[in-house]
Amino acid sequence: MKKFVVVGLTLFMVLAVGFSANAKTLKVGLDADPVSLDIQVQLSGGMLQLSHWSFDPLVRWTQEMTFEPRLATKWERMDDLTMRFYLRKGVKFHSGNPFTAKDVKWTFDRMRKSIDYKGLIEPFVGIDVVDDHTIDIKTKKPYALLLNMATYFFPMDSVFYTGTDETGQPKDAIVKIGPSFALNNSSGTGPYVVTSREQGVKMVFDRFKDYWDTKSPGNVDQIILTPIKEDATRVAALLSGDVDFISPVPPQDFKRIEKDANVKLETINGGRIITFQMNSERRPEFKDLKVRQAMVYAVNNAGIVKKLMKGTATVAGQQGPEGYAGYKASLKPRYNLKKAKSLMKEAGYANGFECTMIAPNNRYVKDEKIAEAVVQMLAKINIKVNLKTMPKAQYWDEFDAKVADIQMIGWHSDTEDSGNFSEFLAMCPNKETGHGQYNSGMYCNKTVDELTMAAQSETDLAKRAAMLQKIEQILYDDAAFIPLHWQNISYAGKNNVGIAPVINAMNFPYLGDIVVK
Amino acid sequence: MFAFIVRRITQAIFVMLIISLIGFAIKNKIGDPVRDLVGERVTPAERAEIRDRLGLNDPFAKQYVRFLKNAAHGDLGLSFFYKKPALEVILSKAPATMELVLGAGLIIMLVSLPLGVYTALRPRSFLSRFTMGFSTLGVSMPVFLTAIMLIYIFGVQLHWLPSYGRGETVDLFGNGWWQSGFFTLDGLKHLILPCVSLASITLPLFIRLIRSEMMEVLESEYIKFAWAKGLPPMRIWMVHAFKNTLLPVVTVFGVQIGIMFAFTILTETVFQWQGMGYMFLEAVERSDISLLITYLIVVGSLFVIVNTVVDILYGLINPTVRIAGRK
Amino acid sequence: MKNSIKRFKESYLFYSFKRDKTAMASFVILVIFLLLSLAAPLISPYNPYDAKTTDLMNAEIPPAFMAEGTSEFLLGTDNMGRDLLSTMFYGLRISVLIGLGAVFLQATIGIMVGLTAGYMGGKVDAVLMRIADIQFSFPYLMVAIFISAIFQLMFGIGSFEQLSVPLLVVIIGLAEWPVYARTIRASVMGEKNKEYVEAARVIGLSRPVIMFRHVLPNTLTSVMVISTIQVANAVMSEAALSFLGLGMPVTMPSLGSLIKSGFEYIFSGVWWITIFPGIFLILFVLVINLLGDWLRDVLNPKLYKG
Repeated sequence: MKKFVVVGLTLFMVLAVGFSANAKTLKVGLDADPVSLDIQVQLSGGMLQLSHWSFDPLVRWTQEMTFEPRLATKWERMDDLTMRFYLRKGVKFHSGNPFTAKDVKWTFDRMRKSIDYKGLIEPFVGIDVVDDHTIDIKTKKPYALLLNMATYFFPMDSVFYTGTDETGQPKDAIVKIGPSFALNNSSGTGPYVVTSREQGVKMVFDRFKDYWDTKSPGNVDQIILTPIKEDATRVAALLSGDVDFISPVPPQDFKRIEKDANVKLETINGGRIITFQMNSERRPEFKDLKVRQAMVYAVNNAGIVKKLMKGTATVAGQQGPEGYAGYKASLKPRYNLKKAKSLMKEAGYANGFECTMIAPNNRYVKDEKIAEAVVQMLAKINIKVNLKTMPKAQYWDEFDAKVADIQMIGWHSDTEDSGNFSEFLAMCPNKETGHGQYNSGMYCNKTVDELTMAAQSETDLAKRAAMLQKIEQILYDDAAFIPLHWQNISYAGKNNVGIAPVINAMNFPYLGDIVVK
Repeated sequence: MFAFIVRRITQAIFVMLIISLIGFAIKNKIGDPVRDLVGERVTPAERAEIRDRLGLNDPFAKQYVRFLKNAAHGDLGLSFFYKKPALEVILSKAPATMELVLGAGLIIMLVSLPLGVYTALRPRSFLSRFTMGFSTLGVSMPVFLTAIMLIYIFGVQLHWLPSYGRGETVDLFGNGWWQSGFFTLDGLKHLILPCVSLASITLPLFIRLIRSEMMEVLESEYIKFAWAKGLPPMRIWMVHAFKNTLLPVVTVFGVQIGIMFAFTILTETVFQWQGMGYMFLEAVERSDISLLITYLIVVGSLFVIVNTVVDILYGLINPTVRIAGRK
Repeated sequence: MKNSIKRFKESYLFYSFKRDKTAMASFVILVIFLLLSLAAPLISPYNPYDAKTTDLMNAEIPPAFMAEGTSEFLLGTDNMGRDLLSTMFYGLRISVLIGLGAVFLQATIGIMVGLTAGYMGGKVDAVLMRIADIQFSFPYLMVAIFISAIFQLMFGIGSFEQLSVPLLVVIIGLAEWPVYARTIRASVMGEKNKEYVEAARVIGLSRPVIMFRHVLPNTLTSVMVISTIQVANAVMSEAALSFLGLGMPVTMPSLGSLIKSGFEYIFSGVWWITIFPGIFLILFVLVINLLGDWLRDVLNPKLYKG
């Protein structure tokens, strides 16, 4: 019976929306749809996008990379280890339950149980509820990035997720594989309620009637999300009018979209760096600084950006992009084939050598082609590279096993901060601490390790920036990795879709605020 | 007859066992499904724990026995990606593929029957020569190229037909299982290009088959006798000749359905058709091993069933064939 | 030698060949294709498989006859800056290699199994043909995808490039041997009870000798006809596998991989990466098929239907 009522109501709502004259539907085509409705089951770009659509964070990033109050209206530092957040009043969850401090604490505690999130919130002690709309967030050590982390706190409806479902499983269970309550049901405070979902095929969101942010300019009543994996097809769908908004846009189609008068393209600089790591333990030649430098000099990363990325990336010479604390403007990209050749000669490898490389073929923009281009470029200094590319599901295993001499890795800092790059990509690999987890080049430098750790608890921002910049300089001089570029994030839509104001460098388009004319 | 069916079933079970065994043997080689399920921050130790919980670290024999036990109860395992029983996932994708095959089958029938008969009756006419030439060209064209060209012409250049997905669908049985594209204009439009591409693979073969069978029959004694009796040509062609060409056509059709199923993998990939073939390739990419094994088992049983039915039908239509010693 | 040429000239095969314009034209084109593939390294302006000589900066240059084209690259370049014409020649070489190799493998396995099954009969026949039937009931493309997914993962990265061609030969060879086995068996069944076989047996020739020296030659007509069609099929299978990304490695594109990489660009006006290799592939398969049709009509062997 209950089911019928729900179905009836939904049907009524759909019809009501369908017939009211100024109802706006936004059809969205993305490369993949969210894997679950449980926002804490997986930490990934797609899941965070969903979090922004049907939940709200305490604070969120703006386009200018400042913090915007959402469920927290203001915050103040109480002492070195504590930050007090004042929560928004009168906010309702999709279920109708009121939002209080209890929900924030509950959400944080659940995050602890999620293997994806628990590493991220490791610096925190916990959350203390002060009153219904005030909380204290406590950290173990002084922590410079507390607000950055608050962008990951998307309060969930603690009442809604409490109890057991019909199979007897607790409703708050975080289940990676197999059914769970949270997999198919959700209740957040966000602008959209998920009304139907067929995984891999279609997902429908309806505007939340009681959404707290009445000042939001967003005027879309319904979002229909269709995953379209193939790049060419996604573009075709936009051009033929099947969808109104797509992301990502493959670089080869930029011209075509720009030429079409009915659609427009928007891009924004992103923070994901694409690099190759050279494993000096597998290949003794890479121990030679000159060889590593020669390889960096041989790779025409500006050419890759121009030809493969069609200009939609920023050529990189270091890990963090401009705007990050560790960015050092003097560390320019350094393509110079002549210099590369002479370095190889000096190192005694004028005739080169042979080595292997692996790269994913469905993880980063043009990843396979980039790897192929680098193979071409290294061949010019007589390094013959045997390349194998594979889907990401196979790639990471091979990456961890370090099966090849040169391995591709892209990295986006979770905290939008330089230190994160070094922690995962450049620190000496250490199984216990987890540092250098994605450092498959086995680069190891004590100074880099010390500086990275020191920067983590340094709260004086100027001092911290100096440390992070020093790290970048060391890595640059050591030619610790081959930097390629920072990927841009690209969107395209029909002319009446206001894309520009809602996008940001994190690739979380705030569809709640999107305006369709 | 009964013995025949029993033998076929035993054989089928045997084949399934081999498929699942091979599937299991490569399981650890085709990537770690856990990697696709967790964020990049998750440590190797935690991943190992998940693998442990899923039983992926158990010895091969133990995993296989467990699989067989569950399979005996109809449980073929969970799809890692869809978080649902693999069989359920495949069944939910089946209607899309069936509609594709059905649509292609209809096109084949509607085109190959008249053309095949016509080319047999008027082998020297221009249309016949054109058809035969075109069919050789059709045989020589890889299906993905046909599909790409159709998309380029009708989708990109002319903007006449949509080039991806299924469009608007109608829920056939009210339980959300069979979403059909046959009952809406939009759905039908979406069906055209994929069905034509799929049909293009076997259409030439059928035209040729019908033509040669028809010609053979037209040469036979009883047709000559019918002519001598002075029956009207239409009656001779349609009733006497045509009816007798259908038998081999039916048999070949059965075999070709299997081949069409295989080619849905290519067609569905090009058109992003949300069916079983597309799902199969995605599962390969995602290392969704339970889904892969289940897919092979389902498709395998499907072929065995189709072949068995065709054999039985053949035996019923043509009593001179003894089923036991198939050909 | 002279004698046999003379004999060939007077044969029915040659006679009908001379009278059939389509067959002659197809034959000429096929010979050109084969020469091209043989001489690819000599006549190609560039070596597309040598990373050293390809330059990304030349990517996506249109064919020479278009406004932005240059005479340096007659048919333009692909998305990695390879000369398209050279890549097509090299791709053709791979197609020919895989086509012939796979068919040779299929024929070898198929003839062995077919001969053994047909001549021995009884249990051996039942078991062998059951296996062939089972595999035959699965579409070959699916079998090929399955085998290649396994093989791809069994070999390390270093050797991947060298191994890809032999690997594809084995994959496609293993996927289609039952076609031969069934046809050969059927012809052997027909030949087996003929008098000459009886005679051979009476004079005490051993089984293998009878099978290979006496029965096999009489089944060769059907083998020849099937082989032409099978070469065409094998070429298409390789293209399909490469199109799905399960075939040749990205650094050694075949015709199928070129079509695949062109498909990504087809909406952006870069049509030549798909169209030229596509036409090339179709033409190649078409002439083989036309010759196969002609052979079948002329030799008219009893083929196994279905």
